[in-house]
Amino acid sequence: MLDLRTPAGWFFSILGIILLGLGIFSPGLRASLTTLNVNLYCGIVILAFGGLMLLLASRKRS
Amino acid sequence: MKLDWVDYLILGVYFAFVLGIGWRLRKSVGSSRDFLTSGRSVPVWITSLAFLAANLGAQEVIGMSASGAKYGIMTAHFYWIGAVPAMLFVGIFMMPFYYGSKARSVPEYLKLRFDEKTRGLNAITFAVMTVFSSGISMYALGLLLHLVLGWSFTASVLFSAAIVLVYTFLGGLTSAIYNEVLQFFLIVLGFTPLAILSIAKAGGWSGIQSRLPPVMTHSWRYMSSASQNPMGVETFGMIFGLGFTLSFGYWCTNFLVVQRAMAAESMSAARRTPLIAAFPKMAMPFIVILPGIAALALAKMGVGYVLPLKGDSYDYDQVFTTLMAQFYPSGMLGVGLTALMASFMSGMAGNVTAFNTVWTYDIYQSYIRKGAPDTHYLMIGRITTVVGTVLSIGAAYVAQRYNNIMDILQLVFGFVNAPLLATFLLGMFWRRSTGHGAFAGMLTGSVVASLTHGLTVAEHKGGWIAPLITLPSTMAQNFWIAIFAFCACFVVTALVSFATKPRPAEELQGLVYGLTKLPEETGVSWYRRPAPVAVLVILVLVVLNVWFR
Repeated sequence: MLDLRTPAGWFFSILGIILLGLGIFSPGLRASLTTLNVNLYCGIVILAFGGLMLLLASRKRS
Repeated sequence: MKLDWVDYLILGVYFAFVLGIGWRLRKSVGSSRDFLTSGRSVPVWITSLAFLAANLGAQEVIGMSASGAKYGIMTAHFYWIGAVPAMLFVGIFMMPFYYGSKARSVPEYLKLRFDEKTRGLNAITFAVMTVFSSGISMYALGLLLHLVLGWSFTASVLFSAAIVLVYTFLGGLTSAIYNEVLQFFLIVLGFTPLAILSIAKAGGWSGIQSRLPPVMTHSWRYMSSASQNPMGVETFGMIFGLGFTLSFGYWCTNFLVVQRAMAAESMSAARRTPLIAAFPKMAMPFIVILPGIAALALAKMGVGYVLPLKGDSYDYDQVFTTLMAQFYPSGMLGVGLTALMASFMSGMAGNVTAFNTVWTYDIYQSYIRKGAPDTHYLMIGRITTVVGTVLSIGAAYVAQRYNNIMDILQLVFGFVNAPLLATFLLGMFWRRSTGHGAFAGMLTGSVVASLTHGLTVAEHKGGWIAPLITLPSTMAQNFWIAIFAFCACFVVTALVSFATKPRPAEELQGLVYGLTKLPEETGVSWYRRPAPVAVLVILVLVVLNVWFR
């Protein structure tokens, strides 16, 4: 059966890369109540989560 | 709230993955069992998160943050007194009978334990209830997308229903469960930053405490009488009404959640499903309730955040989305919105997959056409998935006529679920209880529930027979309805059971306490055994209740 960690890993990696890209190339994107580059930090966390899922899935396969 | 192209891109990527998972899993469906019960093959970490996510509909996220802004940290009782103890109970004490009986659904367990009419009553009321729950969830989403983004109510409802329909139609319960886990991750990753940002902006928990009246930041201190707190509930009603009857009634007897545990790969996995789910469940108030409380503090700080209004009163249901719009820039905003859609879809898929199982096995196979080949039931399961979705859409338009989502849900659960808890407790732990007793008890319980609603009035609701008693809030009213319904069902089931002939002991093997070999968990490490995990959950629970007392 399908190992859920593979699609979950890809999904969150793609999401993380999109956010990280926005955070780096459009750092001016800010919400009204915060001065933080929210996309950058959230992108890092989400990409790390996606990567972890992919790592766990590949360790099980090998 | 204005979305950018990148937000739509993120939404699009999510839909592609959801449908892709359904497409990949279509080959794993070879029989009606695969489609409706996952063939009991799903790993425990997946069933646990799905157990949680199936209940985590959009109305929970929106409703809980709204309650947070309206009632404060007392809202956390829905988790720390309500859901979590009930989840421990179902895992430790009830799962041996559900999973061990080999029943394919909760109504089928009633058939094995009691008789046909008990199953029929439960199956039909449950089917109606899931359609309504799913419709309410859909309505909540449609309304929200309309208010926040200006999307058409009808288009949002139809589009999201279509996505859920496609992936549940293709991969059945397995597809629903897998997507629920993806949705759960998305909810956590998409909403946690909002909680962190809004609480930090409000000056942390101590900052919030200093800006709000103490009743908003203490969960137990103002509960000695109903007039002291905005919920209008006192300790007994809270513990016995919400903590015991409503929550145990929901988590221990509702097939929607129990189905996830029953799909687990082994008895041990089935028992640990609700226990493992209890950990993230305990943390949910930090993600969904605290932002609501933080919003209240922010509104008093003059930093540019104002509570959303509807007419001249606050519209608490919009608190969560207004926070999102002001803390998330384009990009993360898309993730937040996608998570909201995901929470809606997981709730709806949960209802649809529970509905099609109960309809196919407990109604169609039992009363309409017995003994057909399995391919026929697989086809019926698939057709029911479509019909269930269409009925939910209809229910969404019915729900449009009511306004407070949570209150209506609690009311429905009160009428149907609270008496059920007594039925299951007596059925599982008292071998003398009989089918006639259970049936009479369930009916009486539901009648007493509606009588209580008809004789009490709270916030202009209920009292349709005679406004005999006035209660401080609809929440208190719901708790009392549940308490009376439970007691009525318990007493009537016991009395009628004494007057009727019990089933012989050999027919009850595996179905009732004392006649079932309880699973022994030896030779595995402590964290793989239910009891030590439950003790750990209780410890954390005590700490949380004391900390926020």
